[in-house]
Amino acid sequence: MKKHILILFSILFIVASLVFGQNETKPYTAVKNVHIVPVVGDDIPAGTILIKDKFIEAIGKDIVIPVGARIVDGAGFYAYPGMIDSYCFLGLSEISSIPATIDHRETGRINPQLRSTEALRPDSMHIPITRSNGITAALVVPSGGLIAGQSGLIRLTGWTPGEMVIKSPVAMHVEFPSISRRGFQREQAPQEEASKQVIELKDWLNKARFYQKRRETAAKNLLLPMPEFDEKLDFLLPVVDGELPLMISVYADKDIRAAIKFVQEEKIKAIFFGVTQGWKVAEEIAEAGIPAVIGSLYDMPPSWEDGYDALYRNPAALQKAGVKIAFSSQSASLAKDLPYHAAKAAAFGLDKREALRAVTINPAEILGVADIMGSLEKGKLANIVLANGDILELRTTISRVFIDGQEVDLSSIYTELLEKYKPRNKEKK
Amino acid sequence: MKKMIFLFSCILILSFAASPAWPGGSLLVKNGTILTVTKGVIPRGDILIMGGIIKQIGENIQAPPGVQVIDASGKFVLPGIIDSHSHIALSGTNETGDVITAEVDMADVIDAEDLSIFTALSGGVTMVHTMHGSANPIGGRNVTLKLKRGRPSDELVVPQAYKALKFALGENPKQANRIGATGPPRYPVSRMGVNAIIRRELLRARTYMSQWDRYNEVSKSKSPPKTLLPPRRDLRLDTLAELLRGNLVARCHSYRADETLEFINLSKEFGFKIACFEHIPEAYKIVPELAGEGIGISIFLDNWAYKVEAAEGIAPMAAYCAQNGILVSINSDSAERIRRLFNDAAKAIKYGGLPEEEALKLVTLNPAIQLGVEKIAGSLEAGKHGDVAIFNEHPLSAYTRCEMTIIEGEVYFDRSQYLSEREEAAKQKKEPKKG
Amino acid sequence: MAKTVIKNLMVLVIITLISPALVRADVQPTYALVNCRIVPVAGPTVEKGVVVIRDGLIESIGTIGIINIPEDAEVIEAEGLTAYPGLISAHTNFFIEPPKEERPATEAPRASESQPMKPSAKPGLEAFTLLKPKKATIEALHRIGITTVLTVAGTGIFAGRSVLINLNGEAVEPMVVKNSVALHINFATERGAYPSSLMGTMALLRQSFLDAAYYASHRARFEQLRRGLKRPEYNPNLEDLVPYVVDKKPIIFTCANQEDIRRALRLRGEFNLNVLISGANEAWRVVDLLRKTPVPLLVSLDFRPPMSSEYAQKGEEEKRRAEKDIYPANAKALSQAGLSFALTSFGLTDAAAIQKNIRDAIKAGLPAEEALKALTITPAKFLGVDSILGSLETGKIANVILAKGEIFDEKTEIEKVFVDGLLFQVEKKAAETQPAGINVTGTWKATVRSPMGELDMTMELEQEGSQVSGVLASEMGRWEIRNGTFSGSTLTFSIEATIMGQTMTMEFSGRAEKDSLEGTISTVMGNAELRASRVPKTAP
Repeated sequence: MKKHILILFSILFIVASLVFGQNETKPYTAVKNVHIVPVVGDDIPAGTILIKDKFIEAIGKDIVIPVGARIVDGAGFYAYPGMIDSYCFLGLSEISSIPATIDHRETGRINPQLRSTEALRPDSMHIPITRSNGITAALVVPSGGLIAGQSGLIRLTGWTPGEMVIKSPVAMHVEFPSISRRGFQREQAPQEEASKQVIELKDWLNKARFYQKRRETAAKNLLLPMPEFDEKLDFLLPVVDGELPLMISVYADKDIRAAIKFVQEEKIKAIFFGVTQGWKVAEEIAEAGIPAVIGSLYDMPPSWEDGYDALYRNPAALQKAGVKIAFSSQSASLAKDLPYHAAKAAAFGLDKREALRAVTINPAEILGVADIMGSLEKGKLANIVLANGDILELRTTISRVFIDGQEVDLSSIYTELLEKYKPRNKEKK
Repeated sequence: MKKMIFLFSCILILSFAASPAWPGGSLLVKNGTILTVTKGVIPRGDILIMGGIIKQIGENIQAPPGVQVIDASGKFVLPGIIDSHSHIALSGTNETGDVITAEVDMADVIDAEDLSIFTALSGGVTMVHTMHGSANPIGGRNVTLKLKRGRPSDELVVPQAYKALKFALGENPKQANRIGATGPPRYPVSRMGVNAIIRRELLRARTYMSQWDRYNEVSKSKSPPKTLLPPRRDLRLDTLAELLRGNLVARCHSYRADETLEFINLSKEFGFKIACFEHIPEAYKIVPELAGEGIGISIFLDNWAYKVEAAEGIAPMAAYCAQNGILVSINSDSAERIRRLFNDAAKAIKYGGLPEEEALKLVTLNPAIQLGVEKIAGSLEAGKHGDVAIFNEHPLSAYTRCEMTIIEGEVYFDRSQYLSEREEAAKQKKEPKKG
Repeated sequence: MAKTVIKNLMVLVIITLISPALVRADVQPTYALVNCRIVPVAGPTVEKGVVVIRDGLIESIGTIGIINIPEDAEVIEAEGLTAYPGLISAHTNFFIEPPKEERPATEAPRASESQPMKPSAKPGLEAFTLLKPKKATIEALHRIGITTVLTVAGTGIFAGRSVLINLNGEAVEPMVVKNSVALHINFATERGAYPSSLMGTMALLRQSFLDAAYYASHRARFEQLRRGLKRPEYNPNLEDLVPYVVDKKPIIFTCANQEDIRRALRLRGEFNLNVLISGANEAWRVVDLLRKTPVPLLVSLDFRPPMSSEYAQKGEEEKRRAEKDIYPANAKALSQAGLSFALTSFGLTDAAAIQKNIRDAIKAGLPAEEALKALTITPAKFLGVDSILGSLETGKIANVILAKGEIFDEKTEIEKVFVDGLLFQVEKKAAETQPAGINVTGTWKATVRSPMGELDMTMELEQEGSQVSGVLASEMGRWEIRNGTFSGSTLTFSIEATIMGQTMTMEFSGRAEKDSLEGTISTVMGNAELRASRVPKTAP
C-alpha cells in the first residue's frame, strides 16, 4: 500500500513538473528524425532523442515530444554519443615549447598529491577546437616521474575548473620507462629498469599500508602515538584501499608482464596506458582483466622487427584477445584528432564498431562513468554529437554538439581568426 | 652496307649506355578505381606503364607480352604522393657552424639507406623535396628525390626538379627556443637581424657578380693587363649569385605574416624568385599578397601551437587558401607524419570543405608544381612517370591503407609481400629453437 | 769515361766510409735462412730455398744449392718454415700521440662573411712528428706478421700526412721508410664549429681546394711579374695544400661507408685529384662505380657495418649478422670484380682481431694468395715503395717472416720476423687474457660523433656487479644514466635527455675495454657514434 502511494506521488510530481516547468524555461529539447548510433544497442535509422535538463529523457523510434519542446531537426544527420579522450593534456598545455604554458609535468619522482584538475585552464584555446570535433569529455592527466599524480575527467565546457570536472580523481598515474620514442633503434626492453621501479612502487604501497594501519589504530587507541602526517603516503591510501585505480604507463612487452605481476601481487585496480608492444602479450593482459588506453598512434614503432604497422595493428590485436581498449590523443593541441586514431586502427584490422566503442562506451567504463556517459541511453547525460556521416571519418563534418543537455558553441580560434581576416582579404583583392 | 649496320649498332649501344642505369619497369595495373587528379575518376580502369613511363590509361588495356599485371580491383589507384618539405634520407639537416651556409648542398649527403624511405613508401609517398633545416637565415641547397629504395643514392635524384635554396625566418634562425645552450648568443637574435643578414649577403653577392663580370670583360679585351687576376671563387656567393641570376629558387621557412611580407619585399628588391613559403601558419592573413605574387605555400594541415609563432595556425587555412588562388601543398617535415599525408589531405575537406579532387591535389599535383616536376609527376596521365600508389579504400577515407607503392613501373612497397615475408621470418625464428 | 768511373768510385768509397757512422753504430750479423719454403709473392714458390740477408737488404734468394751461403753468415736452419715478405698495413693510426688540442673558448658562430680554413685544420701536420712507438704493439704486430705500417693521426677533416714505417725498434728515425706519403682527409666534422655537418665538410673541402689553386696561381703570377701585383698573403694551410691540389700528390680519403666513397670520387672528378680510398668496407656496394673509376683501394678489415647502413639500423641482431656474414665478403667481391685493393687493419687495434679478420675474409671467399698480395706487393705499389718492399727479391728491404705453415691458416704461428734485416724472435703468444676484471667505474672522456656534428662529454660511471649507473655531462646538460648493464665486454645504458624542452630517449650499446669504450647511441633522430677513453686517476 505504502509503495503504491509512493508511486502515485512521484507520477504526480512528474506531471506537475512537466506542466509548470514548461512555462518557465523549456526543459525539453528533442532531436528528431535523426539516425541514432547509440553505440550500446542497434542503430535507430530515424529516431528521436528527448533531452530533459542534463539527461536523455527518452530515446527511440516513436517518442512523444512534449508540447513546447525545443525541436532540433536531425534529418540527414547521425547522432553519436560525445567521444571521450582517455589520456590528454587539455587545459594543462597551450604552446608546447613555452614552459610558462605547461602545467601537466611536475618536478620530482613521487607526486601522488598532485591533481591535474587543479591546474585546469578553462580558457584553453584547444578546448573549443576539440569540442567542435565531437569530443565532449577528456581525462586530463599529470605526467613525469614515477608517480605523476591524479587525473580527472572533465567535460569540454564550463567557465571554471569546478564547472568542468565530472569526476576527480579518476586514477593515480604511474610511469614505467618509455620505449615509444626511439625510432627503429630499440634492442631490448628495459626490464631491469622496470623491475627496479616495481620494487620502488611496492615499497611505497607497503609504506602506505603501514601508515594507514598505524593511523587507524592510533585513532582508536589514544595510548598509541599518532604518526606524523605524510603527504606522499596519505594520497596513496585510496590506491592501496583499491578505491582509486593506478593508470600505469607501460610500453614494452616485458614491462607489461612485470606490470601485470605487480598489479596481481598488490591486489590493486589498474588501467594500462600506452601498451605499445601490447600485441606481443595481448592474451596475458586480457587474462589479467586490465583495460588498456592506447597512446597516440602518431608515432613510429619501437623496433624494426615489430614491423612498420606495429602501432596501427596493436589495438586490433588487443581487442581480439579480449582486452577492453580505449583511444587517446596524448596531446592538447592534437586532442582534436582522437577519432582518427580509432579509424587508423580500424584501417589495420580493428572492427569499425569496436573502434567507435573505444572512443565512447569503453572509456566510460574504464574511467568508471558508464552510468552517466559513453552511449546514447535513457538516463545518461545528454552528450550528443550530430554529424553528417561516420564520426570517425575524416571527411565528416560535425554540425551540433550537446554537452549535458546544453548545445555548445562550435566556434573556436580557428573560425574566429579566419573570420577576422576574411574581410581584409576580400578588400585587398 | 655492312659498315652502316656496324655504325648503327654502335649508335644503339652508345645510346643505351647513355640512358639511365635503371631504365624503369613495365607494369599493368588493372581494374582499379583510378583517381587521375587532373582528368577525373575512372571507376574501373587500367594503367599501363612501359619502361617507367605511363603509356596508356583507360579501360580494358591488354598487357603486352611479358608485362606483369597487378590486380587492383576494389582498390584505389592514385599518383604517388609527393612531400614538398622533408628532411629524410639525409646525413645531417643543419650546418650550425655558421649563420649563412648557402655553400652547402644536401645532394652531397643523400642517405639512400635511411629506413625513413621505407616509412614514406608505406604511406604511398614516391617523391620528397628533402631540405636543409631552418637553423640559419640562409641554409643550403635542397634536393628532390624519388624514393627508389635499394638503388644507389645518385639514382634517387630528380634532375627535372627546381634547384632550390633554403631560407628561414623567425624563431628558429633567431634561436628563440635555444634552451639549455651555453655560450654567448649568435647574431642575429631578432627578426631585424635575420632580415639584415640576408640583405647583407645578397648585397655581397651582387658585388661578387659585378667583380666577375668586370674581370670577364677585361680579360676578353685585346690586351688585358698582365696584373689582371680573377676574383677568388667563393662557393657561398656562387650559390647566391645563382639565386640572383634566376637559376635557383628560394624556399623560405616562415611563420608570421609580417616576416613573410618582408621577405617578399626582399625578393623584389633583389629580383629573385620565391617558389614557396614553408609552414607559414599565418598565410590566411595575407592571401591577396601570396596569390598576387603567385607564391605557393607548403604547410602542415593542422599541426600547430608547438611554439609562439605557430599559435595562430588554423586548420581551415589549407582549404581557404586553395580556394582563394594560392597553390597549397601539405608537407610532413617529419619521418613519421610522412606516412599519413593522405590523412592530412582529407582534413582539408573536413576543415573548409575542399572538393575531393582538390584535396588530393594538396599532396600530389600541387607539390609537383612547387617542385617544378608537374610534367613528370603529380597526376596520372600518359607520358608522365609511372609513380603510383594503390590504396585499399579511398585515399581520403580515414579507414584507408596503402597497399602498394610503385615508382617508374617498379614496385618499391608491397604490403602483402611485406606481410608474407614477415610471417616467414617469424616462422624461421621459431623453428631453429625446436631443432 | 774512365774519369766518371773513378769519380763514382770515389763517391762510393766516401759513402762506405761515412755511412756506418750515420746509420747504425752496431754491426748486424749476416743471416742465411736455409732449407725454408719461400713464397716471394713476386715469382713462383721455392720449395727448398735460401734467403741471405745482409745489412738490412736481401742479398740473395733462391733454391738451395744454387744460392751461395756467404762465409760470414749466421745460418738459420728453417726446415719446415715458410718465408714470406713482411705484411704491410697501409692505413693505421698506430703509434700516434695526438697533439694536445687547444680547444678555443666557446664562441658564438661569427656570422662570418666566408669560411676560410681554420687554423685547427692542419693539412701540413706530419704524422712523423707525433710518432711514439710502443714495444708491446710492435710485438703484437710482429706476432701476426706485420712488419710495416702506414700511420697517420686519426682525427680532423685534414688529418695530416702519413708516414710509412718499418717496425724495426723503438727509435723513430730508423723506422721511417717514406715520409709524407699522402695527405689524409676524413669526412669528419668540427665540434660546435664550422663545419658541424657533413654537407658543411664537403663545402669546406671544395672551398679549400679552390683556395689552394687560387693561391698557387696568384703566387706564380706574382713570381713571374714581381712588380705591379700585390703579393699574396702567406697562408701556411694553403701552402700545405698546394702540392696535393696543383701537383697532384696523393690524397687518401677515409671512407666509412658507400656514400663516403661516392663523395671521394666526386671530389676526385671535380678537382682532378690523385685519390686513394681507405676504409671502404662498403666498397662491395659500389663495385660498378669503382670499375668505372678505378682508384687504389685500401680496404679495411673492420667488418662492423657503418652506422649509416640499413644493417646497423635494424637492430643489434641484424647488425651482428651483417658483421659476421656480409661485410667479411667485401674483399672477395672486389677480387671477383677484378679491382685492385690492399687490405689494412684500419679501425682495428687488437692484433688478434686483425688476424682473425684476415682469415674470415678468406673464409668468405677471398683466395689466400690474393689476401697475401693485398697485404704485401699491392700496398707497396699503392704507396710507391714496390721497388724496395712488398716481395722477397734480391735488393729489396729484408722484411721477412718465417711461419710454421701457410701464413693465414688457423694454427699457423709466426716464429721469426726480420725487419730491415734485424731479427725479432716472436714470443709464443701469452695465455690469452680474458677481458674479465674489467670494471668500467671511473671517469671517461667521450666524443659523440653524429651526422649533426660532434659533442664532447664526460662520463662518470659506477659499476656494481653487472649494473652500471652514472651521469653523462656535456654543454647540452647533465643526464643520468639509466638501466646500465655491463656484461662480457658489452656495455648498454639509456639516457633520457632534455634538449630544448624536448625529452628524448637515447640508447647506448657498445663494447668496453680496459681503458677504451666505443659504441652507438641510437635516438629517434638517428645514430651517433660514441668513443671514450678513460681519464687516468690523478694521484691524491
